[in-house]
Amino acid sequence: MASTLTFFSKRRLINFGLLLSAVAAFWVLQEIYANGIHATAILSGATLFGTCLVLALFNARKKLPFIPLLKASTWTQFHIYAGWFAVVVFFFHTGLRLPDGRFEIALYIVFLAVALSGVLGLIISRIYPSRLRLYGENLIYERIPGLRQQLQTDVEKIIWKSVNETKSFTLARMYESKLKDYFSTKKNTLLHLVGSEEAVNDLTEELNQLQRYMVASERVFLAEIIECVKAKDNLDMQATCQGVLKYWLFIHIPLTFSLLLMGLLHGLMALAFN
Amino acid sequence: MSEALATISRPQRWDVPFESEMGAEAVARILSIPPFSQIDASRFPASTSLPDILLNDTGLRSFKKNQVIVREGDYGNSAFFIITGSVRAALGKDAIPAEVLGRRQPEKKDFLSTLRQLWGNARYPEVRSLRRYKDAKAGTEHEKVDTTAIFLHDIPSVLKGGTAVLTAGMFFGEIAALSRTPRTATIFAEEDCELLEIRWQGLRELRLRAPEIKQFIDTNYRKYSLENHLRETKYFKDLSPAELKEVANQTRFETYGSFDWHSNYKKNRDVAPEERIKEEPLIAEEGQYANGLVLIRAGFARMSQKYNQGERTASYLSRGQMFGFDEIAHNWNSKDSAPLQYTLRALGYVDVLVVPTSVVEQYILPKIPQSEFPPPIVAQIKQINDRRDGELSTDVVEFLVDNRFINGRATMVMDLDRCTRCDDCIRACASAHDNNPRFVRHGHQIGRYMIANACMHCLDPVCMIGCPTGAIHRNALGGQVVINDTTCIGCSTCANSCPYNNIQMVEIRNEFGEHILDQESRPVTKAAKCDLCVEQVTGPACINACPHDALTRVDMQDTQTFAKWLQR
Repeated sequence: MASTLTFFSKRRLINFGLLLSAVAAFWVLQEIYANGIHATAILSGATLFGTCLVLALFNARKKLPFIPLLKASTWTQFHIYAGWFAVVVFFFHTGLRLPDGRFEIALYIVFLAVALSGVLGLIISRIYPSRLRLYGENLIYERIPGLRQQLQTDVEKIIWKSVNETKSFTLARMYESKLKDYFSTKKNTLLHLVGSEEAVNDLTEELNQLQRYMVASERVFLAEIIECVKAKDNLDMQATCQGVLKYWLFIHIPLTFSLLLMGLLHGLMALAFN
Repeated sequence: MSEALATISRPQRWDVPFESEMGAEAVARILSIPPFSQIDASRFPASTSLPDILLNDTGLRSFKKNQVIVREGDYGNSAFFIITGSVRAALGKDAIPAEVLGRRQPEKKDFLSTLRQLWGNARYPEVRSLRRYKDAKAGTEHEKVDTTAIFLHDIPSVLKGGTAVLTAGMFFGEIAALSRTPRTATIFAEEDCELLEIRWQGLRELRLRAPEIKQFIDTNYRKYSLENHLRETKYFKDLSPAELKEVANQTRFETYGSFDWHSNYKKNRDVAPEERIKEEPLIAEEGQYANGLVLIRAGFARMSQKYNQGERTASYLSRGQMFGFDEIAHNWNSKDSAPLQYTLRALGYVDVLVVPTSVVEQYILPKIPQSEFPPPIVAQIKQINDRRDGELSTDVVEFLVDNRFINGRATMVMDLDRCTRCDDCIRACASAHDNNPRFVRHGHQIGRYMIANACMHCLDPVCMIGCPTGAIHRNALGGQVVINDTTCIGCSTCANSCPYNNIQMVEIRNEFGEHILDQESRPVTKAAKCDLCVEQVTGPACINACPHDALTRVDMQDTQTFAKWLQR
């Protein structure tokens, strides 16, 4: 049975086992302290703060690729499971209830925001890569605006050619009324976030409906335009998903630093007033 | 005043000679020794005259008795000519234990240099120090060579196999230098001797313009390389020296395809695969009688099988592998006769040795224990994408062969279903290389995998063929293909030769971010490519930086490890 497990499945099992062991060890420590000096809040608080500090070091590790500090993928695994551990300790620490003071409520919310953004990051980093690959051509994020502009120029050339050769304005009117806007900026961001192709399907359907009003020679150009619409949709999809994959850290990391700062203040106050 | 205003002269081929102490007197002396004395100097153009080649591409070396000259397994960029004395070659694989050879560890940055990168990296991309180039021209900076003298002691006890003595007037090391492969034997001084070391660019010119040298080298190649290759081949190891000689005498050398295959490959890249396969030179055809055992000496060959109206690629063969053995063994061992089960075609350029079937039956097969014989051949055609654990699927093999990725020793493969396009690999690469990444996260795709545009450190690095200065060379210890920035003249030959477009020409800058210009105010360019972070303690920064295990470097000769990675 074990031999049929893939590398990733084995790693997941081992890491999950380690997480359970860490939680169990923490729970035992809590019990010991609870029966002893009654400083469980200090133990869970210190563990939580220490764990968050270590989790935040991952960002520093990324800035030092040439220093032998284990592979980034090892850090990622540690980050994921230590993150889950921090969530468990957090609920031990807060006792599954909202705190009283305003500062503590803010800290509570910031922690949840960090944890949720982390979980969201984990989910999108597992879902979006394959979606990006399956949807269309793999593109480099920074090149997408240039490609979009190029595509719009190509579409305009097709429209001009169509007008010149067929003397019909069906496509030109469609371009002016709908396609110009579609090709000029990123569209359908929310739909792309959830993986819906509804918008592009609607647009291609609308374009196909135009066939009945076209001469045969114009339909050739329509087919080219439809290909461009699909290419533009892929550009938007790549830009949206790659953008989210790149920029979710701009939420997660600043929140983490806020959390550390607030956590430090909270700890100092707790020690000072208890 | 910024440094850029002081321009540098455009780098030239012989700005940095191979040996700065080589003088006119030494050149005159070499020209008095055969076969150099027999060369017609008028065949050489004025720009690369014979004396100039000897002055700039050669160096005199003295070795003491028992001193190691070249080590088996090291990559050599030069050949040697024995002027006085004699040397001894230890024959056979691992003829001298590695621990006796004093092989250095690859040179890495020390801890402080590693740390210094945190604050010492320039703010602009591709920053170079002008002093570095000026010092090189003044002869104060040279390519690092292993100058540590290693001596063998108690030779009879460390030698495992036989030896051969090479005397004054002979060449050695030319095979490794010209074919861009590792040294096949360790050679040490039999007595105090003086050698002429020839950088392979110089050797190439000599071979091209002096038929005497070409003949001399080619004769040596056939005489020594053949026996050595056979000795290293499975099933041939147990032959006695006399038998090996007899087998060698009856073995044919055959060459298929063109040596500079990359230009043809680039031209035909867009041709449909089923058409391209027909253009590949045929070495042996499926269904024919196996009249010889084919041993791959250099290059690559495609093993394919008829499949419906086309040909399915079953595997690819490279140096050291053989073709036709199963059929020959089957026919010798069974009552029925089996023809060749596969077709063998040259991929670009391939050198093969053909051992006639009668010779295999006479000398090889009787020595193989029955238990080691291959299983009898049963005609069967595997279905496309039949795949066992540890095997590459047919579509992957076809993809690798069609795009010639089989050449890679450290091919960058990305799993696009795990890659979050975070570009941590790009940033890590840039921070380890003059603020400019040495690869592009883009390339050919098969399913969820992509071969990125990163130097593959090829088994046959054709980029090295045309380099006039030897700036692009193999690291002697690890075999990584690296560029000596000081001797690179920015001619773009390597970038144009690379079949995979993995070498970029970059415009270099001074510390203020201004382009460095030559006398005619043109930007000075240098070739830049992945060096596999040869100096970094962590190894390739790209692999280390990938947070999602999406990236690896693959040796395409080790298909099992690759298949395991794909099936993880």
